[in-house]
Formats: sequence, C-alpha cells, structure tokens
Amino acid sequence: MISSFKVITRSTDNADYIALLGNIDASAEKQLQSIPESLENQLVHFDFNQAGRINSMGIALLLRCFKQIREEKKAKIILRELNPTNTLLFKMTGVFMLASHEK
Amino acid sequence: MSVADHHVILALFENGIDKDAFSPLLEGLPGLLTIGNTPGKELFAEKMASMRLSPSLVILSSRLYPRARPELVADLKEIFPGAEILLITLAADPLPSLEQLAVDRIKHLLVTPEEDEQAGISSLQNAICRLLVRSPWKLQDYVKPGSRVHEFPLVSSSQKEALIATLEGAVSGDSPEMELLRQRAALLADEMVENALYGAPQGKDGSKLFSKGEDRVIAAEEEISFRFAFDGETLAMEIVDGWGTLVPEMVVDFLARNQSGMEEELVEAGGRGLFIIWRFMDHLHVNIRPGMQTVLGGHLKAISTLDCESPRGFSISTNYLSA
Repeated sequence: MISSFKVITRSTDNADYIALLGNIDASAEKQLQSIPESLENQLVHFDFNQAGRINSMGIALLLRCFKQIREEKKAKIILRELNPTNTLLFKMTGVFMLASHEK
Repeated sequence: MSVADHHVILALFENGIDKDAFSPLLEGLPGLLTIGNTPGKELFAEKMASMRLSPSLVILSSRLYPRARPELVADLKEIFPGAEILLITLAADPLPSLEQLAVDRIKHLLVTPEEDEQAGISSLQNAICRLLVRSPWKLQDYVKPGSRVHEFPLVSSSQKEALIATLEGAVSGDSPEMELLRQRAALLADEMVENALYGAPQGKDGSKLFSKGEDRVIAAEEEISFRFAFDGETLAMEIVDGWGTLVPEMVVDFLARNQSGMEEELVEAGGRGLFIIWRFMDHLHVNIRPGMQTVLGGHLKAISTLDCESPRGFSISTNYLSA
C-alpha cells in the first residue's frame, strides 16, 4: 500500500474517473481541494481500491470535496472499491449522504 | 466483590422481563437493591425516602432510561446527588439516545454481551468496582492476564507510521477477521495519536497550538505515550497525554453530535476523531485530570460486529487515580 497520497484522474465523454491512492489525511488537503475544479462531467467515479487509511481529517477533506462537487458542478458522485472498514467509516460519518456506493 | 460490601447499589429496571435479562449478571452482588419502574418523580422520591436509602451507585437499564423514562436521571440526581450513575444495555438492544445522555451528563454506559454470560458478569462487576473506588479503567482489564503491554513514548510526530506498523505486525493472523482487526487498529491508533499531538495541546484560551498534519517535536513534559496489548482475540489500546485539556462534559456531546449525522453539519462536525474511536471500539474509556493528564483508550475484539447500530460503551471519569 502506498502511504503518501496521490490522485490519478482520467475523463471519458460522459464521466470523470478519479483514483485515490495511499492514506487520506491532512497531507491530502491540496490535492483533494484541486479535484472539483478539474472535473469535466456531471458524473464522477471515485476509486478507493488503492486507498489506505482514512482518518477523521481525511473524512473532513472528502466531505468538503464532495460537497463542492455537488454544489458547484451539480455532479453525481459514485464511490467504488471501498474496503469494509472504510465502508463502515463512510456510513457512520455521513459520507454516503453526499455520494452513492457502488457495490 | 468485597469493594461493594459497604455500599448500597440501586438497580432500576423497566419491568420483570428487563430485570430477568440482567439478573444473572447481578446475582450475588452485595448491597444491591433492585426496584421496578415507579412512574412519577414524587412517588419515586417518596418510595426512596421511606426506604431511607443513600446509594453510592445507581444502575439503570437502557430499557427504562432514556427509552421509557427520559426524565429519570434528572430526578435521580436531585434525590441522590452523590450517587454515580451507570447505564447498562444489552448488546442486542438499540443504542440509547445519545442526545438525552448528553443532556443528563451520563458518563458511564456499559454494553453487556448476551452470548457470553461470564464476560458480562466480569465486565459489569469490574465497572461497579471501578466506580465505587474511583479507579480508572486500564488496558489490562480487557486482555487475558499476562498479555504483553507494548509502550511507545512519543518524541516526534514522525513516529506515527512506525508505531502503526508495529501494531499491525502484532495483530497476527490471516483470517478475514484479523485483517479487519488490523485495519481498525491502524485507524484507531492514527486517531488517538492525532488527538494527542494536535487536539490536546491548547493555549490558555483553548486555541489549538498545532495544526493537524504538521511535523513537530514533542516536548518531554507533554508526556505523550501510546500503548497496546493483544491476547489473540482482544486488542486494547490507550494513549496518554500530559495536557489534560479534554473537557469531560464535551465527550458525550461530541459523540451525540456526530451520531445524529445532520447533513448541514456534516463537513464541520467537531469531535469526529473521538466519535470514530468510540464507534470502532467495543468500549471507550477516558480519564481526565484537568490540566495534568488525559488517558483515552479502550478495546476491540476480532469477532465484534461491524455496524453503525450496535451500542458501544463508554466510561468518562475525572480525577480517578490508579491504585
């Protein structure tokens, strides 16, 4: 598992695909902040397959990022490849109120 | 249970079925008086006065409070101002409303496992003893006797990842349960260390001295130390800081605020780290000596259910001293 945070993006005609790699914590702030403005579509897939630990600061940053995407880009957000711990974490902290979970 | 010999303990239940559910756990407890639901403060106060009771501890079933009698704790505090209150709930019952618990400043919630009676008896008796003698919860309470306690005094924020790697390495096993336990352990250790490094250090006005994620050296007088013990089934973890800035009354407030999960408050919710620690642990303990020390810890079992609905326990004490 990569420990330093990294974002990989790609776009198709109708969706943006964003892969989040490594632990998501305070060190991810700048990269997560830059995501909303880079989007081209109104459908965004976030892939957590290579994501590691997500702490409370990481949750706060993701919530801020998703809220901005929904409000400013009017885009739908889909989260995929979440491990069981992060699925529970997102459920208990309300992340799924802003983004849907593709199982 | 010699500690309880000189104390009167009152246990209040909603009805006979409720009492029967807990009776195996309370059997043989000296000084215990069980009382059924007496609706109305006046009637209850009258009954207590006629019995000339002065309990050190009141045990309340969560089926009675806050579910059936939300006003009960306010009444009890008026009638028995010196008594500690311990709320007990069965693991299969729903989580009691934290909003009411926060309003009433409930500091002790114990979840008793239904399937393991012996574990239930031992956790309840341990909780009662600790409350009666004002002794803080300890790592060793949760793991098998003789389990090794690993301790990491922290001198720099850069030690966090090495500490987490050691913890993950100690939770050995290839089963899916152990993999999940490792994931939860890493997350909890991360939150506990972050709280001690960036949440605890505060100026006189309560302002935070360091920003989250900032690399920093930890002064010796901060006395920040992480410890854990694993016995093959249960993992216990604890962090100590020499700041003592966590406000006891705020702990359940933070839990209640995050539990309610209102969409408009989502992003800026305070105390999220503490809420995550509590939800992922089976029992959270916090002992605060204001301005001197905060000890925050608890335990989680490899077999614990992972969901958002099951009740989780907590014990929040102030100025309890180790024997």
